[in-house]
Amino acid sequence: MSELETYRQTARAFLNAMAPKYARPARQGNTVEQDLALGREYMAARYDAGFAGINWSPEFGGQGLSNLHKIAFDAEEMRYGMPVGFFGISLGMPVPMMIHYGQDREFVKERVTKALRGEEIWCQLFSEPSGGSDLAALRTKVEPDGNGWRMNGQKVWTSWAQYADYGVIVTRSDPTVAKHKGLTYFWVDMKAAGVEVRPIKLAGGDSHVNEVFFDDVRLEDNQRMGEVGGGFGLALHTLMIERYIATDSAGFGPHLDLFVKLAKETQLNGRPAIEDGRIRSAIARNHAMRAGLDSITQRAMLMMQAGMQPGPEGSLQKLVAVRSRQKLSELALDLQGTAALPFDQHAYVKEDWGTSWLNAPTGRIAGGSDEVLLNTIAEKVLGLPQDYRPDKGIPFNQIPA
Amino acid sequence: MSMLYDEGQQAIATESRRVLDARMDKGRLLALLEQVGGIDQPFWDTAVEQGWTALALPEEHGGLGLGLTELGLVAQAAGAATSGAPFLTVGYGAAQALLAAGHTGDLAALAGGEKLATVAFAEGSAPLPAKSVVSFADGKLNGTKPAVIGGLKADLAVVLASTNGTPVLVAADLTDVTRTAVPSFDNSRLYADLVFNGTPAVQLAEGAAALGLARDVLARMAVVTAHEQVGGAEALLNIARDYALTRKAFGQPIGAFQSIKHRIAELYGLIEVARANCIHAAASEGTEEFLIAAADARLSATEAYDTASRDCVQIHGGIGVTWDQGLHLHMRRARSLGIEQGNLLFWEDLLVDQLAGEAA
Repeated sequence: MSELETYRQTARAFLNAMAPKYARPARQGNTVEQDLALGREYMAARYDAGFAGINWSPEFGGQGLSNLHKIAFDAEEMRYGMPVGFFGISLGMPVPMMIHYGQDREFVKERVTKALRGEEIWCQLFSEPSGGSDLAALRTKVEPDGNGWRMNGQKVWTSWAQYADYGVIVTRSDPTVAKHKGLTYFWVDMKAAGVEVRPIKLAGGDSHVNEVFFDDVRLEDNQRMGEVGGGFGLALHTLMIERYIATDSAGFGPHLDLFVKLAKETQLNGRPAIEDGRIRSAIARNHAMRAGLDSITQRAMLMMQAGMQPGPEGSLQKLVAVRSRQKLSELALDLQGTAALPFDQHAYVKEDWGTSWLNAPTGRIAGGSDEVLLNTIAEKVLGLPQDYRPDKGIPFNQIPA
Repeated sequence: MSMLYDEGQQAIATESRRVLDARMDKGRLLALLEQVGGIDQPFWDTAVEQGWTALALPEEHGGLGLGLTELGLVAQAAGAATSGAPFLTVGYGAAQALLAAGHTGDLAALAGGEKLATVAFAEGSAPLPAKSVVSFADGKLNGTKPAVIGGLKADLAVVLASTNGTPVLVAADLTDVTRTAVPSFDNSRLYADLVFNGTPAVQLAEGAAALGLARDVLARMAVVTAHEQVGGAEALLNIARDYALTRKAFGQPIGAFQSIKHRIAELYGLIEVARANCIHAAASEGTEEFLIAAADARLSATEAYDTASRDCVQIHGGIGVTWDQGLHLHMRRARSLGIEQGNLLFWEDLLVDQLAGEAA
């Protein structure tokens, strides 16, 4: 058995031991606050068992293992539905960025440990009302204030900001230069005076994203990460950092097996729907597509094991998988007819077609919209020209509103 | 087998593409479209010379002892070049059937390219008819197999027939068979109705074993074809990309318009999904996963090639529909390959039967 497979089995043993208390069935009926408390407990147990910061340096409380080990653990953990959602972004981007760029190394070490244990949560303050896909259009500004900075502005779509202790943020420090050149990156204390978080209720009924307002918030200069004016580069680094994540060819919705089961159990025109050509076609096409994504993932893993760089086709995962989840969820609801109308907004998206369908649009927008991903593939992989950008090279404060 | 190509496999991919790039000629291929019965002889000579006919046959029968992965890579190169001669796939399929049944007498001649073999399974909309209209009794075949791939030139065929309603798989020498050419939109595939009239044949398998073997051979050929489809689709993606970079409209390259660039990016997605399925299917040769993997490869590759030929022509505008520009070579090939080795409907049904546990 390969070392990685042994590791996977050790992980599974740990997860099995944790499951009765923390896995999806144990969370049934929890309020968000209860779930968060349970999540913090699980994170501490995971830390103590040596499954936290798997691919991070031991200097920062990590295990010093490979990206493959991390992906292997994440893939196993995903099957259980553990309460880890609150910590995904925190440990995915902001905390690794602190490890790279945090000025006060002792402070960083302390934060990393607390974040790994689930005691503290970090958020990522990027999108704004004036810039989502167009990140460099952001308007939250910092101005020199004595030996530090004063920040004013607004962020939006910030996941878990209402529970966050800290955040990393991109701000505009110089509006007189081209838009992506006048940005500076900081960390911010979310409990500081002048920070206000307002949850946004989403279409599916939950409120994990927020608006965050900054009103004369004081930042020390040692909260700055990277150079003044280097914020855009750090923002790109942030988005690149989490490349080694577990993928899900089901688009983080229900597995195709569940659709096959539904089609076998549902009667259509007096016979099982699995015998209906339209349903069969949908199953077959989805299977072929998902199998392809799974093979892309397997090949990427093998390449990493062999010390090679995986190909750019990995960038297709979210684009292809979430779209298909959305359509398959629609079809699953349609297939059931009026039996699909009863709805439980708290049902698990990986097991329920209703919540999978209603929350699918979020997946097609967050973390790079379909359109941005297509642009990225077209430009970075295929070498096609950039879109027409009228604001290119123009000082930010001269761009027509 | 690993899903990562080793050095030898990469060399096969590079070399086959290099040889075909140097020797294939669009004018020659276009001319073949307007004649019935013409085969692209330079391609076939190249295939024999390069050992592609021997690639996936065992060494004891004059082969090179390699497998589906290697043959798939050659097929991918052939697909990119819309190169002719269908025997790369059906010759392999026939040889696999003969091998499985222990009828190895002709294998060396097939490996060396001295003989051409084909597979005659399909009858219209049934790629794998359980009750063939061709009967086999007392060692003789009677009846007609329609539009057999390579039927105009093949020396022998593996035929799915029936004996009193029971499926049988037989091998027949085609020397004295009447062949009626089928004029088609892709003539170099050499489609012909094979009219058996007391044709002597040797039984390879019967009953469920015959259907099972035929299905395995069809799945293998489908995987080879899926590679060919991926090669064709990838060639079209590159052609579309290059055109979108050079052709200008409204003061900029048309590739700067999202209607064009997103279309091309979507193609990339279809092709990479199909490619990954092909690699997985070839690597699963001989395992329990093979049939499902073959279906996945076949479904995604057919979708990729059909879509690529549709979209690539569209991106070209008027020039894309001209005879001389030749995109229709791909468009025609996408559809002929889509029909050969089982259409989408067949593979969808087969896949769902497997997934739903209703397999025969």
